[in-house]
Order: sequence, then C-alpha cells, then structure tokens
Amino acid sequence: MHHSVELFDVHVSIEGSPVLRGVTIEAKPCEFVAIAGANGTGKTTLLKVTNGTLAPYSGRVIVLHEDLINHPNPNALRREIAFVPQKTNHHRFPLRVEEAVLMGRYGKIGIMRRPTREDRALAADAMRLTGILPFARKLVRELSGGEQQKVSLARALAQQASILLLDEPTTYLDAPSRSEIMETIHRIHHERELTTVMVSHEPEWVEQYADKVYLLKDGVALLTQ
Amino acid sequence: MSLPAALHLPFFQHAFVAILFAGVAFPLIGVFIVSLSLVPLRFAMMHIALLGGAVGLFLGLDPTLFALVFCAAASTALGPLSEKTKMGLGTLSGFFMTLTLALAFILFSRGKINVMEAFGILWGNILSLGVWDLVLAIGTSIFIIVVVFLLFKEIQAILYDREIALSVGLPERRIYYLIVFVLGITVAVSMRLIGALLVDALVLLPAIAAQMITRSLKQMFFLSSLFGLVSGLGGLFASLAVDIPASSAIILFASAIIAVCILSRRRFTSHANNP
Repeated sequence: MHHSVELFDVHVSIEGSPVLRGVTIEAKPCEFVAIAGANGTGKTTLLKVTNGTLAPYSGRVIVLHEDLINHPNPNALRREIAFVPQKTNHHRFPLRVEEAVLMGRYGKIGIMRRPTREDRALAADAMRLTGILPFARKLVRELSGGEQQKVSLARALAQQASILLLDEPTTYLDAPSRSEIMETIHRIHHERELTTVMVSHEPEWVEQYADKVYLLKDGVALLTQ
Repeated sequence: MSLPAALHLPFFQHAFVAILFAGVAFPLIGVFIVSLSLVPLRFAMMHIALLGGAVGLFLGLDPTLFALVFCAAASTALGPLSEKTKMGLGTLSGFFMTLTLALAFILFSRGKINVMEAFGILWGNILSLGVWDLVLAIGTSIFIIVVVFLLFKEIQAILYDREIALSVGLPERRIYYLIVFVLGITVAVSMRLIGALLVDALVLLPAIAAQMITRSLKQMFFLSSLFGLVSGLGGLFASLAVDIPASSAIILFASAIIAVCILSRRRFTSHANNP
C-alpha cells in the first residue's frame, strides 16, 4: 500500500549538532501514528521536516506520493498538511479566535483573495468541533494555554487537509481536558479519514490512540507498536 | 504667518499634501515594525542612506537619489540575506549599520567631502519639498496602501506567526521580503520628507499608540493611519501657529497621542480589575 507520509533515512543537524540521524517512518492513509520520545530528542524537528518547513541535509520526504523537498511548489503540497504547533509566537498580537481559525483557510483561499462564506462556515465548524465557538470574538492572547491549543487544533481542522501533524497537543491541558481533546482528535481522525502523525513525550498516553508508535531515541526512530 | 496666507504658499501646499498621504500610509509600515520587532532595520536604513549620499557626493552626483537607491537595494537584499546567512534581521541590521558607517567615513576622508553636506541627507524638512519629493511621497503612499489592502490576510498571518503562515501554505518568505522592502523604501522616503531622526514620528509612534488600544489588525492599521494623519497635520499647523520646527511639532503631537493611549489603557485596565 502507498503511504501518505514517508520519511526515509532523514538526517537533520541544527547549528552543527545532529538531531536526526537517519530517521525512517511511514504512515499509511487513515493511520494514526504516534512518535514518542523524551524532551530534546528531535520530535518537533521531525514534524517540521514532515511539513517541509525545515529541510533535512539528506534523506527523502514523500508526502501524498510527492517529493516534498524537491517539489516545484511546496506551498501547494503544504496546504494538504495541517500542523498544530506546541505553542505559537503571538505574545501581544491582536487577533480574534475566529480570525486565527480562519487562517487555516488562507493557503487554500489563494493569494490576494478574500475568504468566502464557505471558508467562514468551515472555520465555524472547526470551532464547534473543538468547543471554542463561545470564545470566537475573544482575543487569542486572552485565552488560557489549553484554550489556545484548541484554537491551533481548530485552525488545522479548518484547513481541511488530509494529513494532520500534532506537536504535543495536550501539553498545556489538565487531565480531564487532555482526555477530552484526545477523544476529539481521535474522533475527527476517523470521521475525516485523516492520516495523523502526533508527537508526545508520554508513550503510555498515546499508545491507546495510535495504530503505530515509534520511539525516537538517539536520533533514530524505532517501531514499538 | 496666518493660516489662510500660508495655504497660498507653494511650500506649505507641498507639505500639506505630503502629510495628507504619508500621514495615512507611512504608519501602516509602523505596524510591521512594531509587530515584527524590526526597529534595528529602521536604524540600518538611516546609515545605508548616509553611505548612499556619500557615494553620490564622491561621484559628484545627486546624494539624495543615491541615498534612495542604496536604501531600495538594501531593503531588497536584506530579507533574502538574512535567510541565507541564518542571521536574524536585527543582527544583520546591526552589522550593516556599522559597516556602512565605516565605508561612508572612508569616502568622506578620501573624497574630501563636506561631512555636513552628507549628513544633510538625514535632516529632511517638510517645508522644503520640491515637486519630485511630493511625487515620491504620494507614489510610496499609494504603493503601501495597495500592498496592505491586497495582501491583508497574508500580512496578518505573517505578523501573527511566520511559522503558521508557512504551514498553512502561504508564500511566507516572499511576502516577508516584500514587507522588508516596503519598510526600507518607506524609511528612505520618510528621511527625505522629515529627516532621519524624526522618521519615527511619522512611521513608528502612531503604530505604537494604536497597538495599545486595538483588538484587531484592521483596527490597528486604521488607528495608526488616523493617528499619523492627526499628528502630521496637527504638527504642521501648530508649527505655523507658534513658530516652531514642523518636524518637532509632529513628534509632540504623536507623543501626546501615545500619552492619551497609555492613560486610556490604564483606565480601562483599572476598571476591568475593579468593576
């Protein structure tokens, strides 16, 4: 079977230090893949390589059967890869929740074009799914860490991509919220038939949701489940 | 001089029209500077303009034109250079700030240039604008407004978080370079209009004031323009009324607007804390 995401022998160095030393991972269509590892093992780096925002110095990154590294229009391919970062850099920027979620549509809307009613409806639907519709008019900077994480997830869902990358999506959540958000992610993963790749530093926590778990250690990924 | 009499003088008419356009458009660039922390770039442009002026004088050509060309070239190159060298734009600006100053002083020394004449590029005067200065101010203003209007959503994403802008599939790098280019050009033209040391009055201060009290980027752009226009025209007319330099009067107006914004924000915050 063809894979939605395939990283083969990926090497990445950051400021001269090797972070990934030949990582190979595969995710089939509709598969939920978890990548576990301690802090500082390169989990976030791995996700950045997967969505093409960081180029490896060697190795292959195949997404939806296309070579992401040598792609003539990586932005077009990136529109099919939704990314939920661990945290965003919006310290003081005035942006309403509804605008932040709508941002997920920006790539697909096209440059110099305005969002349509359909784009807004998709953003509203994503806010409803993640339970942040009541905060739609609030500023993102006024929300708690957990609520901001839900905004990031809603933006990724609004993007309507076929691949979902999640960078420790439960980091800022309390125990009940963590279960709630993971159940939401799991449900959406199945409903939308997404290929999901999630990184976490808690392997025991992600095992129950994942079809496949890789352990990232010493710059390589080992398949454990 | 009375206001009706001044309105008939060409130099005042030029200043009025320049402020009308630049007062609305240039603070939009201030929003970029504030949101992306690009203040060092504004200082680098000042020094690059000085080097351009020194080259112009060294070659016996128009120093202002050379200053503008150097700023345009630098603002085109700095964005990509920052990515290639993996140096932040702030660090790179610091590097160019000192390098260009050193080169300018070599030219002063070798070309036996009157240093005050070269530094004259940095002291603009809103009341001494020629027709070409006016064309430059209006053209730059229209360009800025068109860029902000057409690329609003792309700019919004980049000012919010460049990584997110890239991950949703926007051509983040090209738009960021465009932002840096427009910023460089604006700073260069502002220097010609009101002087390098007073650029902040027209570009930065209105955006700083707007940032304090806005709840969306659209509001921030709108209020920055409004504050820029009010401080620009207010300063211009006040300079006539009380006979003080126009650039200083514009700064005083812009500073007063910031003070009002600080006070209104404090009041709002204390009301919110003690309902």
